[in-house]
Amino acid sequence: MRPERIERILDRILLKAERPGRYVGGEYNSIVKDWDATDLRVALAFPDLYDLGMSNLGIMILYEQLNRQPDILAERVFSPWVDMEALMRAEGLPLYSLETKHAVRDFDLLGISLPYEQLYTNALNLLDLAGMPVRSKDRDSTYPLVVAGGHACFNPEPVADFIDAFIIGEGEEIIVEVARCVQALRGRSREELLRAVAGIQGMYVPRFYDVTYHPDGMVAEIIPNRPDIPERVLKRIVPVLPPPFTRFLVPNIDTVHNRAPVEIMRGCTRGCRFCHAGMVTRPVRERPVPEVLEAIGKITASTGFEEISLLSLSSSDYGQVHELVSAIHDEFGDAGLSMSLPSLRIETASAELLSKLGDTRRSGFTFAPEAATERMRNLINKYVPTEQVLQTARDVYAGGWRTIKFYFMIGHPEETIDDVWGIIDLCKAVLREGRKELGNKANVNVGVSTFIPKPHTPFQWVPQDSREQVLEKQQLLKRELRGPGLHLRWNDIESSEFEGFLSRGDRRLGQVVQRAWELGCTFDAWQDRHYHDRWLQAFGEAGLDPDFYNHRTRGDHEIFPWEHIDVAVHRKFLLQDYQMSLKGETRIDCRDKCFACGILPKFTKTRSQTAASAWECPPVRPIAERKRSANVTLMP
Amino acid sequence: MYSMRVVCDTWRMSQNPARQRLRITFGKFAAMKYTSNLDVAKIWERLLRRADMPLLYSQGFNTRPRLQLATALPLGITSECELLDVSLRQRIRLDSVPQQLRDVSPDGLEIYRVEEVPVASAALQTRVRSAHYVVTFEESVPDLDQRVACLLAKPRILRTIQRKRRTVEKDLRPLINEIGTADLNVLQMHIAVGDRGNLRPGDVLEEMDLIDSWHRVHRHQLVLADTEEVKCN
Repeated sequence: MRPERIERILDRILLKAERPGRYVGGEYNSIVKDWDATDLRVALAFPDLYDLGMSNLGIMILYEQLNRQPDILAERVFSPWVDMEALMRAEGLPLYSLETKHAVRDFDLLGISLPYEQLYTNALNLLDLAGMPVRSKDRDSTYPLVVAGGHACFNPEPVADFIDAFIIGEGEEIIVEVARCVQALRGRSREELLRAVAGIQGMYVPRFYDVTYHPDGMVAEIIPNRPDIPERVLKRIVPVLPPPFTRFLVPNIDTVHNRAPVEIMRGCTRGCRFCHAGMVTRPVRERPVPEVLEAIGKITASTGFEEISLLSLSSSDYGQVHELVSAIHDEFGDAGLSMSLPSLRIETASAELLSKLGDTRRSGFTFAPEAATERMRNLINKYVPTEQVLQTARDVYAGGWRTIKFYFMIGHPEETIDDVWGIIDLCKAVLREGRKELGNKANVNVGVSTFIPKPHTPFQWVPQDSREQVLEKQQLLKRELRGPGLHLRWNDIESSEFEGFLSRGDRRLGQVVQRAWELGCTFDAWQDRHYHDRWLQAFGEAGLDPDFYNHRTRGDHEIFPWEHIDVAVHRKFLLQDYQMSLKGETRIDCRDKCFACGILPKFTKTRSQTAASAWECPPVRPIAERKRSANVTLMP
Repeated sequence: MYSMRVVCDTWRMSQNPARQRLRITFGKFAAMKYTSNLDVAKIWERLLRRADMPLLYSQGFNTRPRLQLATALPLGITSECELLDVSLRQRIRLDSVPQQLRDVSPDGLEIYRVEEVPVASAALQTRVRSAHYVVTFEESVPDLDQRVACLLAKPRILRTIQRKRRTVEKDLRPLINEIGTADLNVLQMHIAVGDRGNLRPGDVLEEMDLIDSWHRVHRHQLVLADTEEVKCN
């Protein structure tokens, strides 16, 4: 369908949709290139609402990287909400791009962002709305090449049937290489194109791997079925973070995070054992303070945003966090710019830092101790003494902020009901501290989520808590954490089960995902739109059991469905770390001591070509030197 | 001896840190027509910051620049006569301002005029009285004239409105100043807007049973109370 026709239909139907501003584009800083004069066209899709997708930094970075190329254009696509989807289907209106209103089908390349598993059905729906068969094998070279990337793709298997190729790792360089590959092989068969794509380091093409299973359902083997296809796909990284993206699109309507994010650091050296992001985003790379400041200056000038958010996995671990926060205050405070610094660690969030961050709009601070007893915090390698938690709470309340928000998880391995009581006791102790300062105005908001073991982490072997365990723990929390000043939020058990089987699922789940979508599942991340019974029906029809994925202890030697995806952290390292956890042994921040996770040997060449200061990995001495001094060993 | 006016102004100056007030006449087209009044305020706030205007910020918990939009434009309607007042903390020369603003404005936001108004003049919202709209139907309505005549012939147009647990009956007829046709697919209306009585073009189309037809609405003139009512206190 031509853009003129699409626009005409939109003009007629848009006012019937809720928040029509989601579907029209036209934002300041959006890039509209001449369609006919541009050789290669890429659609970048975020399979969730505009309101959420517009806050996604990843999509923005790729948009910029691609549009920077004179002969490539990139346009945005988001999932329509259910009301708009119904209107589109009734009118036969295909999914279109926001910039020039071209049908997605008319692009050369479709990139889908998959940051979390709950978007899988939306990705299928997106393909269907675009008028494309959902299965990769049913799409020939007349369809755009469909690639996906993002954190959920470190276990791509549950959606391996639908996506032609996955970007494993960081996308800012590889996306252009893939686009160039599509450009160079235009007109060739899909097989030929995919063979070439698979040759790009960091690209995973599922159809070139055969997966076989043991009779008990465990993976027997994952082997390439073509020559020249690597046995394992090593993730892609950028050795040095490029200068931050600054020309943010300024949405015309309100969005969920209506502010500009600046990534100050990628990766995390803390090694929390439950943390997927901390394992897959290694090595840690920081952006220098002057670079961040310059970016903020450019952002305010080019967008007019009144708030920036400094992003990283653990902001208060950023080397020069104090300098950065003070400098932002001094340079931009007068211009009415406010900043948020999410992901503060309790022990590094000093009173000084809190006061620098505490602007007039802020009502409180958020911390994520994740576990409430010291035993549990040792087990998950997020060691903080309880006294430290209380001290930080005192600092916050003494500063006049009324609300502390804590994130905890239930369902860590080896957790007992006493550890859950620990959450209750700690929250009440914190509230008591607050009352000393502020009386009845003090608040503690408690978010308790259910732990979901993730691939590529030390806890990838452990069973997720059973339904009964979770319900019992949640019941206790609900009974005890109530009353004035205490507000509890928890995760719906079905959403956790759902996230669990998709996180550690294998390729056979493709039929479950497709069936669930056929049964009407979309927007699964929206609690009131998650239809668990349909998912269970889909499992039943496929002859699979969700408990096999969620509640089974995996053996030390089990081959995982994601075994061929190499995040550069050794399996040996992860297993050892898991075993250490069971003994209550912790590992310190790996900036202070290298535990040989595998990043350095996997990226030896990259490392040697990169400035020493660019990575936070401590210097490693050459092997010859190590052999000479027998008492020094880098392997723990 | 000071005149009352001067005393008033001096008093206001001391209370009001605004050094200059600009009135911007702008239009909403394309994607802009799908933005709400709150959205428009935010769009302007950011646009003015990009243009590096010396905005005056409100004091208090949630500091925002002092912007006043004359009146809300219902979603989906284009316009060429929207008004915005902006308070500045220091005086600037106006010659290059329109271009400065156009350079950083999003698609569909047209900037026509920027003029200075007295700092102490009454809030824009209190001065809006009515507006002129043109409705264009995609397919002509054969009995458009009869529908208009029928509507205008009604002495009262009662509408029940739900207001917090009680229903209020409201007569829409006095809010219609004038309705006419230019063709079988063009309807012109001049209806009340503002805090003394507000009618939306959609309300009128609903009464004429035309709300479900495919149509476009454009606002082309805002009528303000003609006197600058300078209030002293």
